[in-house]
Amino acid sequence: MVLLRGGMCPGLEEDLVRDLRAADVKTVEDLVSSDIEELAQRCSVSFKALFAIRRVLLAQHTAFPVSGADLYEELLSSTAILSTGNPSLDKLLDSGLYTGEITELSGGPGSGKSQVCFGASVHISFHLKQSVIYVDTTGGLTASRLLQMLQSETSNTEEQMEALQRIHVFHSFDVYSLLDCLYSLCSGGLQQASAGGGSAKAVIVDSVSAVISPLLGGKQNEGLSLMTQVAGVLKTLAKDFNAAVLVTNHVTRSSSGEVQPGLGASWSHVPRTRVLLERVEEAAAASCSSLRFATLIKSSRQPCLIKEELDLQWWSRSQVEHSGKRKLDETDP
Amino acid sequence: MMQRPMCSLPLSPAVKVKLVSAGFQFTADLIHLNPDQLSGEAGLSREEAEDVLQAAGTGGPLSASVSALELLQKEEETRSIVTFCSLLDSVLGGGLPVGRTAEICGVPGVGKTQLCLQLAVDVQVPACFGGVGGQVIYIDTEGSFLLQRVVDVATAAVRHCSLLVEDDDQRAAMMTFTVEIILSNIFLVRSRDYVELLAELHLLPDFLSDHPGVRLLVIDSVAFPFRQIDNLSQRTRLLHSLAQQLAAMANTHNVAVVTTNHMTTRLRGGLSQLVPALGESWGHASSLRLLLQWSGSQRLATILKSPGHVETSVPYQINSDGFRDADQSEQPPSKRARTLPDQSAASQSDACC
Repeated sequence: MVLLRGGMCPGLEEDLVRDLRAADVKTVEDLVSSDIEELAQRCSVSFKALFAIRRVLLAQHTAFPVSGADLYEELLSSTAILSTGNPSLDKLLDSGLYTGEITELSGGPGSGKSQVCFGASVHISFHLKQSVIYVDTTGGLTASRLLQMLQSETSNTEEQMEALQRIHVFHSFDVYSLLDCLYSLCSGGLQQASAGGGSAKAVIVDSVSAVISPLLGGKQNEGLSLMTQVAGVLKTLAKDFNAAVLVTNHVTRSSSGEVQPGLGASWSHVPRTRVLLERVEEAAAASCSSLRFATLIKSSRQPCLIKEELDLQWWSRSQVEHSGKRKLDETDP
Repeated sequence: MMQRPMCSLPLSPAVKVKLVSAGFQFTADLIHLNPDQLSGEAGLSREEAEDVLQAAGTGGPLSASVSALELLQKEEETRSIVTFCSLLDSVLGGGLPVGRTAEICGVPGVGKTQLCLQLAVDVQVPACFGGVGGQVIYIDTEGSFLLQRVVDVATAAVRHCSLLVEDDDQRAAMMTFTVEIILSNIFLVRSRDYVELLAELHLLPDFLSDHPGVRLLVIDSVAFPFRQIDNLSQRTRLLHSLAQQLAAMANTHNVAVVTTNHMTTRLRGGLSQLVPALGESWGHASSLRLLLQWSGSQRLATILKSPGHVETSVPYQINSDGFRDADQSEQPPSKRARTLPDQSAASQSDACC
């Protein structure tokens, strides 16, 4: 809660703030939760004045109820669905990444999480002409791969360069610099990044588990608190700034050998939609296929556990048609 | 504007508790204060108060973004470290990328250390020969760093470059590309256990700032010290933070980070499978993962994962000169090719530079 300051509301003068401080009432929370009658006696102010201050402060800090109808109106006008550019992934996500929501991709090493992030950011930047914020926490972002994907979309160099310019990359390798970066996005960074008015609509964090998992486990519980902070600011970005947030997560194995997304149960409530990526296991152990299975494991719109086959080369497909002899891109990190 | 809570700042828990109990819950509450006022109100020492105000102040415009276009230009400017195996270089797009992390996995004797030694020499190839011309930090945890072998590899690299000399620049560069200078540009660190390794990594950023010429950091291997830890959750946590440290170092100091890893057996549905050691989550640690393996009598290098390359396998061999292209001839390369010096001449011509 907020610190009490003189002039915050009518009747709350500097003198009174000092008196309240002396009575160990420092924040709005302290004032609201204290016994007004007793406090009035201790600070020798009128009960009426304190009561009025309390009412004003409560009104200032409360959340407002909004009617469902109004919300729906707003939803229709403000929600955008950003297609990822890959039809099978879009089908799984009910036509794309929704603004106002956190979508999570999880998968083992080499399962294609970063490739999906690359593909989505190229599609959003090139086709939808929107700015993309890309927070890279592992150093895996390869701009030449982005260019490769763009080259399959257009042969116009200028358009390629424009699209690349709309992708804003932040590098942060620990949780504090990630928090710094996300908070600075909240306080103006999103608008700055946007090219023509409005604010950036897509925020990608690849990967969120890389910076959080070093803090988890062991005896300290600070890690959990920092994870909650990251979750909170990501939700603010999504809800209050109406951005589509895409994060990646690693996987762990449960005791029965089942693959499940990492970061534990408390993180599992954070993303609204979760997709698990897996390699298509083939007879040959070292198969070099670009096919992946994507499974929807949490969603509020679609039935869960739908499985789709996903081709990571989709984003650079047209190149195949043009020059069949060149073997295309890749896989993952 | 969103309020940033105190607990999201990089401060010690004791300081945070004092701040919160004094009523300061958000960074915005500190805006109007100077260190003296803050230390008075929150019961902190003056130094602590200064730290708090500094930490709270950085949240604003500090973190600057780069556009993907600038990143692309940077990527095109940075040279890669050639491996002297032209097939591997070409699938990697010119060699091992500087500024990124890479991991080499493989069974014993397949050539992990050989590739590391080769890279330690190759990173020093002068710029006019298409090299990087940098220094190398070599952290040896297994005691497998063989100086005599480095001398062999370096001699071959010097001989190879001297055959390529065409102009005065290159002639001048050859003056500083001698075996002796190559050896003096390798900083060898011997770490006996994981505590020494982690301590060394904490000191490395300062060392890298003092030695801006370093372009390669080798850790051979990460698996050995960490496989000694019995407590699995502690091991995982340490490895995760190690991975982030390496990624940060690669990015901020523009060095290539190469780690090696053992292989282990995993049982899945009654089938045993050879997989890289240290658990699945360590697989996220490096952006490039290279698997060295035997295929019959041939050695194969496979790109297991990479954000920018095709997943492919290429053959290679190790001979007395180091890590080279596999022989094109019919004769299958001997399992321990490095003991047969007669093969060196053939592969010499294939080596790319």
